[in-house]
Amino acid sequence: MKAKLISTLFAGLLLVTPFVAVNAGDDDKHHGDDGALKKAVAEATAAKKKAASVGGEWRDIGKFLKKAKKAAKKGKMKKAMKLAKKAKWQAEAGYKQVMAQKTVELPSYLK
Amino acid sequence: MSISKSTSLMRKTLLAAASVALLGTSQLALADENGKELAFTRKKGNCLACHMISGGSNAGTIGPALIDMKARFPKRDVLKAQIWDATVNNPESPMPPFGKHKILNDKELDAVVDFIWNL
Amino acid sequence: MKRLFTAAVVIALPLVMAGSAVASPADDSSAIRSYFSKKFPAVELNEFGNGVYAIDKVSRESWEAIEEFPPYETFVDAGEEMWNTAFANGKGYKDCFADGPGVAHKYPHWDKEKGMVMTLPLAINNCRKANGEKPLKYAKGSINDILSYMTYNSRGHKTNVVIPSDDPRAMAAYEEGKQFYFARRGQLNFSCASCHMQNSGNYIRSDILSPALGHTTGFPVYRSKWGTVGTLHRRFKGCNKQVRAKPFKPQGQEYRNLEYFLTYMSNGLELNGPSARK
Repeated sequence: MKAKLISTLFAGLLLVTPFVAVNAGDDDKHHGDDGALKKAVAEATAAKKKAASVGGEWRDIGKFLKKAKKAAKKGKMKKAMKLAKKAKWQAEAGYKQVMAQKTVELPSYLK
Repeated sequence: MSISKSTSLMRKTLLAAASVALLGTSQLALADENGKELAFTRKKGNCLACHMISGGSNAGTIGPALIDMKARFPKRDVLKAQIWDATVNNPESPMPPFGKHKILNDKELDAVVDFIWNL
Repeated sequence: MKRLFTAAVVIALPLVMAGSAVASPADDSSAIRSYFSKKFPAVELNEFGNGVYAIDKVSRESWEAIEEFPPYETFVDAGEEMWNTAFANGKGYKDCFADGPGVAHKYPHWDKEKGMVMTLPLAINNCRKANGEKPLKYAKGSINDILSYMTYNSRGHKTNVVIPSDDPRAMAAYEEGKQFYFARRGQLNFSCASCHMQNSGNYIRSDILSPALGHTTGFPVYRSKWGTVGTLHRRFKGCNKQVRAKPFKPQGQEYRNLEYFLTYMSNGLELNGPSARK
């Protein structure tokens, strides 16, 4: 189930970055991965900063990024990529969450 | 194609079909258990934090008891949408948007919906 | 740049305030009070300072038993020693707090000169720094000793947060704190109000959610879960983490403004810290 989930995610990745996916299947430690992962981590880090700038960062984003870097060091590129994407998604969601409630009125039960 | 080859092919196909069927049922049973587990676990659904559910202890009182769900949600999709993001229907609902915020992934959400819908 | 920003605030704020949507702090407070008095009609205003024990008889009994040998007592004693011990330069806390240790009810307050909300922990560290001492950490550790002692000596004084009308930045700080309180945050998408207003009195699992009214009066708090006394901002951090939001820095602007709003809501309630909580 987990494997299937990862492969599904990975298939999604394949659509976005064909170059990475082709290589990743054969060799997890291929240099092509390294570039794509660095890009993903950089994107996630930027998204995290953007979320933090409006006070909307979620709790585990930093942890995901740390884990992604650790996994990459061990050559587990698929895992690293998955974590970096998750970090980016959460950072963007946290930013959207803040933007959606720029002004908060008293809830109806207080009126 | 020789006879023996075609027989072996047929055998393989049958075997494959049988194992798929077998896998199917066991996965279904697994999904049920899985849904309950996901619904009860603190780090996943944690439904019990707010809702009374038969079979769970120390349930919270924030949300309504989860009973007779098919009467309340004749359509599974409507229940799923509610668990996905309850604030669509009621902007002041305190319920976490399990799907929208990916607190549960798609598979986990479906398993939880199945479990809840059958309560 | 900074001046430009301030100018923008000064110009923009009256415009915002002129809009009908903005309620005054007094309006907010009376709305919140009437909500809680309807929700818990048997609870008198000052009783809300006892948190969950004001609304639940069963847990109140065990809490009263705990209060007979208060777990925060040793912290008050340690704080007294800090108060009476001179810094390396020969001065001490009493030179900074001329009115004595019982001044917790004067915080938080708007510091016009610094243009920020001044809290008691900040004032304590300002005192230390001015006298060449290392500042204390704001969440855990010995800041809780001195806070326990000062708060203990402030018991019975009433919460009295003022939002001065002669400085629009004070109102802006209040509004920021209010926005923080009602905004949903974290992956779980809860606001402070989701639990402590909308669902106060309800059970979350086997715990009762305490009402927001009176939340600030008992800090610092000895929490059984912590096994020690902790600051209000430590508690803020814990709440933020629970909703899966990244917590803010204790004594950073977000939590200071939140404290400003939240304490204002408890105006008129007696300080009763340090207190004991589950």
